[in-house]
Amino acid sequence: MLPADLEQALAPKLGARLVGVEPFEGMAGRVRFRREAALDLFRTVREDLGFTHLSMVGGIDWVDHREVFYVVWSDEANQYLVLSTDLPADDAHVESASGVWPSANWHERETWEMVDVTFDHHPDLRHLLVPDGYVFHPLLRSFKLHEPEELEVKSRHV
Amino acid sequence: MGHLTATAAPPSPPRVTSPPRVDGELPMAGQPSVPFVEIEALRVREFIPAAKEALTALIAEQGQAKLIRPVFNWAGRNSLFPLHWGLACCAIEFAAGFGARWDAERFGVVPRSSPRQCDLMIVNGTVTWKVAHKLITLYEQMPEPKWVIAMGNCATGGGPFRTAYSVVPGVDKLVPVDVYIAGCPPRPEAMLDGILRLEQLIRERKE
Repeated sequence: MLPADLEQALAPKLGARLVGVEPFEGMAGRVRFRREAALDLFRTVREDLGFTHLSMVGGIDWVDHREVFYVVWSDEANQYLVLSTDLPADDAHVESASGVWPSANWHERETWEMVDVTFDHHPDLRHLLVPDGYVFHPLLRSFKLHEPEELEVKSRHV
Repeated sequence: MGHLTATAAPPSPPRVTSPPRVDGELPMAGQPSVPFVEIEALRVREFIPAAKEALTALIAEQGQAKLIRPVFNWAGRNSLFPLHWGLACCAIEFAAGFGARWDAERFGVVPRSSPRQCDLMIVNGTVTWKVAHKLITLYEQMPEPKWVIAMGNCATGGGPFRTAYSVVPGVDKLVPVDVYIAGCPPRPEAMLDGILRLEQLIRERKE
């Protein structure tokens, strides 16, 4: 499956909400989309294109904006595919993929607590790796390493 | 606490001496003075009343608590049951310490899977804030008296992850620690050394 095939399959369904399909090293391609298209894109990719397995969800803090990416796998095509969307840093939220790929649940919880991206309609959006009540988002660029005592006082997590 | 001496001499009144000694162990520095009763008797039927008389005199002289404590400490330090749980890579060394090569069971150290059967918690690995309250729950479930060994640099002071966002900088922020073992990870010999030092602490324990 080539980027051109992907664009041909996705463009009629998403229209202007599809930003573009780029080639990506070792994978079928990288689909960049606007966040309004999230659910439509997930359903199309899973049901029409056959990418039935969600391998991972991650987030990147690019300082001026944030990016969320999904890596999906197709047994038929024997290929990975990256779906990514850019979000404004002050209003970072996107539709949850856990209705389409249930395995997105924990990945989105981790992305939420690490880079502070909210996933709308997530069934159970709470902390995964850090305790409840933790106030920091450690993978943001603005997060500085704290002295342990400072961290302890600020978070009050135990 | 007594022994039989087969002599032909007539039974003499029991003599109570107090060299610092417990049965079968060498005297050590800093050890509390443990009374030692020497009884000379020819037959068992002579020994039993003599021993009873000597012990009654000893208890009247020194008080019951002072006599029970060394026995209690002796029993406790020779049957330390650590909690069998692993947090990180130190748990590999912990497990190796109970294998055939180092065989910690020869010191009476037997890992148990339930905290209610344990009197020793060996914190072997990085403690995160997420697992901290589970560690405290396990510690609180252990019956008194109980001890804690912080094994490795992470449990001692956070180790290389001291400034990380999720790591407790030393398990002594959560529970009282008796013995710290340095190393990343410490070898099983170091763990055994820590356990033997804890035994020394228990030997010197007054209360």
